[in-house]
Amino acid sequence: MKWILFFGALIGPSICGREKFFGDQVFRINVRGGDEISKLSQLLNSDNFKLDVWKSPSTFSHPVDVLVPSVSLQPVKSFLKSQALQYSVTIEDLQIYHEMDNIAGEFPDLARRLKIGHSFENRSLYVLKFSTAEGKRRPAVWLNAGIHSREWISQATAIWTARKIVSDYGKDPAITSILEKMDIFLLPVANPDGYVYTQTKNRLWRKTRSLNSRSPCIGADPNRNWNSSFAGAGTSNNPCSEVYHGPHANSEVEVKSVVDFIQQHGNFKCFIDLHSYSQLLMYPYGYTVNKAPDAEELDEVARCAAKALASLSGTKYQVGPICTTVYPASGSSTDWAYDNGIKYAFTFELRDTGHYGFLLPANQIIPTAEETWLGLKTIMEHVRDHLY
Amino acid sequence: MQPRRPPPPAPGPPRPAAPLLALPLLLLAVQGAAAPTGPEAAEWRPDTGPPHGLLRQAARAALHFLNFRAGSPSALRVLAAVQEGRARINAKKECTVDLVFTTEHYNSEEGEERLGKCSARVFFRNQKPRPAVNVTCARLMEKTKRQQEDYRLYKQMKQLRNPLDGVSIPDSHGHIDPSLRPVWELAFLGSSYVMWEKTTRFLHYYMAQLSGVKQWETNDGAIDFDYTVLLHEFSTQEIIPCRIHLVWSPGKPLTVKYHCQELLAPEDASGTEEGSAVAPTELSNF
Repeated sequence: MKWILFFGALIGPSICGREKFFGDQVFRINVRGGDEISKLSQLLNSDNFKLDVWKSPSTFSHPVDVLVPSVSLQPVKSFLKSQALQYSVTIEDLQIYHEMDNIAGEFPDLARRLKIGHSFENRSLYVLKFSTAEGKRRPAVWLNAGIHSREWISQATAIWTARKIVSDYGKDPAITSILEKMDIFLLPVANPDGYVYTQTKNRLWRKTRSLNSRSPCIGADPNRNWNSSFAGAGTSNNPCSEVYHGPHANSEVEVKSVVDFIQQHGNFKCFIDLHSYSQLLMYPYGYTVNKAPDAEELDEVARCAAKALASLSGTKYQVGPICTTVYPASGSSTDWAYDNGIKYAFTFELRDTGHYGFLLPANQIIPTAEETWLGLKTIMEHVRDHLY
Repeated sequence: MQPRRPPPPAPGPPRPAAPLLALPLLLLAVQGAAAPTGPEAAEWRPDTGPPHGLLRQAARAALHFLNFRAGSPSALRVLAAVQEGRARINAKKECTVDLVFTTEHYNSEEGEERLGKCSARVFFRNQKPRPAVNVTCARLMEKTKRQQEDYRLYKQMKQLRNPLDGVSIPDSHGHIDPSLRPVWELAFLGSSYVMWEKTTRFLHYYMAQLSGVKQWETNDGAIDFDYTVLLHEFSTQEIIPCRIHLVWSPGKPLTVKYHCQELLAPEDASGTEEGSAVAPTELSNF
């Protein structure tokens, strides 16, 4: 059983710090005997490919799951072919879940990975909870990302932020003091079915992948499905539309899971939804031009946050209420949060302003995440100082 | 590359005449169809001003139109900032916007910060597309440099090997291979015409991705290529595929023919849009 220990030792460095998370694939490699194992260990032992063993087998007949970085895909495939090793490629969105697991594992006193539900196609909905006082129901912040699957900078920023929170706690006074008073819940992939679909079939898919009973078109817009002026302005009742609101509010299980969790918790003070693109920092309302009661304060907070964000690389964000800053949109997450007592409700539209749009180059992930973090911290500091 | 098949007959509505102004040394003036006059009813109150969204909408329309008419893939402009603007809306809900805005190079990867100033009058016919545009811009790139860059791009295009079929530009991660960058810029030029035509008071567009690129041989040395562009439509969030056929030579007028699909289910009015245009020759002298 020596080779099992060998494999165990190979569980390599986590994927943090690398610029590219996407395009990586998980290969499930079948090993049926000693000969194949030695061929495989040759591959895994090689420094060149930077392979990361996810699941080492407990017996000979179980397959090995290996994370292959995108740059190594071709050579690894060639090697496997030349050695007649059988393999299959598993679902690609798991690397974010794996990283969440790593974070929770490395910082058990600060971070926990929670399952809050599942998607239409039965994928888990995982949230990271950051708390310095487990057991107490502290005032909390909800960070939502990836609700529109094609907005890849959103999921990427979220997982970078998760790593940032655990790395900086205890070192950066801002996040340390924030976590002394509040808990942070982070949902990096609010729409996992859509996300997998963007990686496998259609890069520009936006909605969920739920089936519609009377139409061949698939999915509802999960950011028109919340119970705030449901089916109002800026939505469509056509299932084929990108802004189809769904048959009824919370019809999308991905939305319902978040609603149920937040309502059960009952002590959320801040809700931030990350989207792309357009470089906007907005607050309610999307469903009406009428000013929200707290619009003045929210506007000030948003301006402060946009200024902090711009301080890093000069990236300019426009600030204002959703309806007049971008367009009318009913049934949005931010409006729902606000109308349900979560005063500090914001929507970010991250980089860029249309040059690359949804297809933001990977080399902009870290700069975007870094500047956004400054904006997020500004908001959370204000919440910390104005708890109600 | 394969020899070009004879193109299908180009249908589409007739184009309005486009009179040109004399070109002063430093300014470029581009005029579209003249905006009709009429009783001007509501004007935004001085204290509130027109909605900022309306000014940006007008700037985008003006820029698409300008880029197409300038016909230069190496001198494409994008909006930097709207500086000031006024708008009037008449009884027929037609909207005239006067604005001043700054622009940047689309193609600048080197981070050059040169800003060019433009002033424009844009006329939106309520919800109808093809806003009338009258735009004047200070020159952003020196003429010789622009001609050199256009010619360099032209040579790069000529050196490309088919098949480019199956290649998406950019790829899923936003990466554009340097050898394909000219394709992207030329496609943006052609798409500018389409995006201008489709822009209304309420809808605007960005280029999301290219695919199905095919380049054809020509007898006169022109660049002749077909591509599919996915346009991202605001505020509907729809992705609209358009098949575009573009013919271009540096310093010569640009020809664009296109065919877009609207993909909603039959219960919505769905249809196809087609159009074509040739940019006038005289504009290439700026």
